[in-house]
Amino acid sequence: MFFGLTPDDNPRLKLLKNVVLFKDLSLRDLAVVDQMFHARHYLADEVIFDEGEEGQGLFVVLSGRVKITLPADVDTVLIELGPGAFFGEVALLDQSVRTAQARAIEDAEIVALFRTEFYSLLETHSSIASRISFQLARVLAARLRQAVLNTNRHHEAS
Amino acid sequence: MNRVLTTGPIVWLGIIVTTCLLLVLFQTVLWLVLPLLISVVSYYILSPLVHMLMSHGMNRSRAVMIITILLTIFLAALAIIVYPKISKMVNNWQGKVGDYAESGAKLFLAAEKTVGKMTPFMHHTPALVVAPGDKSGVVPEKKDKTSPAAVKPDEKVPPPPVVDEAKVNEADTQALDDQVAARINENFGDIAFELLRWIPSVLLIPYMTYFFLLDGPRFKRFLVQAIPNAFFEKTLYLFYRVEDQLRRYFQGLLALTALDATCLGIGLWFLGLNAPFILAIIAAMMAWLPYLGSIAGGLLVVLVAAHDFPADPWLPYEVVGVFVVVRLLDDFVFMPLTVGRSLSMHPLVTVLMILLGGAVAGIAGLLLVMPVLGVVMVAGQIIGELLTDQRILARHFHARELRRRRARVDLFFK
Repeated sequence: MFFGLTPDDNPRLKLLKNVVLFKDLSLRDLAVVDQMFHARHYLADEVIFDEGEEGQGLFVVLSGRVKITLPADVDTVLIELGPGAFFGEVALLDQSVRTAQARAIEDAEIVALFRTEFYSLLETHSSIASRISFQLARVLAARLRQAVLNTNRHHEAS
Repeated sequence: MNRVLTTGPIVWLGIIVTTCLLLVLFQTVLWLVLPLLISVVSYYILSPLVHMLMSHGMNRSRAVMIITILLTIFLAALAIIVYPKISKMVNNWQGKVGDYAESGAKLFLAAEKTVGKMTPFMHHTPALVVAPGDKSGVVPEKKDKTSPAAVKPDEKVPPPPVVDEAKVNEADTQALDDQVAARINENFGDIAFELLRWIPSVLLIPYMTYFFLLDGPRFKRFLVQAIPNAFFEKTLYLFYRVEDQLRRYFQGLLALTALDATCLGIGLWFLGLNAPFILAIIAAMMAWLPYLGSIAGGLLVVLVAAHDFPADPWLPYEVVGVFVVVRLLDDFVFMPLTVGRSLSMHPLVTVLMILLGGAVAGIAGLLLVMPVLGVVMVAGQIIGELLTDQRILARHFHARELRRRRARVDLFFK
């Protein structure tokens, strides 16, 4: 992959533009981030990562579907993710272990952003990295708020 | 989660065998490995500068170009300033080496004489006088004309001829000096030819450094594409650890060299040696070879001190004192702050590996053994962990089976 397309011609950039994390970035900025992605192809039923593994980065679904499950109860799907969704984002922030399993439901094109490369982006392109970090913080805050609401509802119900 | 990777004896055996095999291989392509190594060092030194320019809004290719141009200008300026001095040194080299060897021999003989005076019991065995019929088990010395043991107790003997010790010493050093000079004269043409042969390799250094800086990250992603999905995250971790190990090792080594050279230079300048900072830089660079390099560097400076100041017999010992002080500073202050952080290796393993490197690949092995061992050690630890992780292996075989089934899905015999 030594030769790339210009930002306007690159179809992957157009897919990435739909990802919440990157919605504040221009195509030119996205081209900078795109140089840091590792593209992977997973077949249906292939495990992407397991619970308890040391997480190294964030995964973004470009095509296909992915399910997140707990190994103790693999039949109960916590969430299904389609194109434009991302998962494993906590590993972008620290070297913690994965708390669930990710598995492809159907063939999936996925890109991964490694933590050290994101740190390098913070050094070299702090403006781009700070916009991604801000979006990530908003997503995590929304999830936290939702978790608190769910807990409150659970307490009220019981 | 910060985990400490533990390795068993089999993994360590694999690490040592792999290191030795790589050193043997590298020895055969030394013309490529040395410029490659220097380019990698330059890459790790210069990449923070490239990142700094990129953080000011410059794109990578422009930042790399500017850094390369500045480096070329700096090296050219350095060459213009340093070249005349080096040229002069090389011209005097043939004669100088013989002089230094002579000074070293004189210093050695003087030291031996001093030790002999201070510890006479170790050097002068009293002559044995054997009484007639005495068979106490003492073996008499071989009889010759000058041996006192050969003389009967009641026999009058002429006094032994007086030997001029200074003349003997001078004769010894002259013989040594002649041997060294003859050996250098024999090999000087070969050495010059060998240096010329290295010119293309030296020219490769800026070329490779430029492309490492420009395409390093892309090349890394290119390599990662070949990794199966099951090993992907752990292999990325391996890349990160190896790269981090290399970067910290080379940056630490450079910082250590600068600190050593500064302290040693100040010490030698204080003692009044000629060109103290050049000597200090050479000695500090020789210390890139742990333990053995420091001794060789110290010996070199002691020889120069003995040669340049023959009238001051205590100066070489003062130089040794300075070296000991700098060594202590190095071991207890500088090393833990710089290189020690990167290679947490037992000193015994370090020395044994250096000797092993020298045994399997000569001087190249001595130079390359530490960085190669550092990388192989981290790679070995993580590959060992990958191959013993049953879950990752099971995932890999599962994915392979899925791909095999997909490939055979419509292939049936009728």
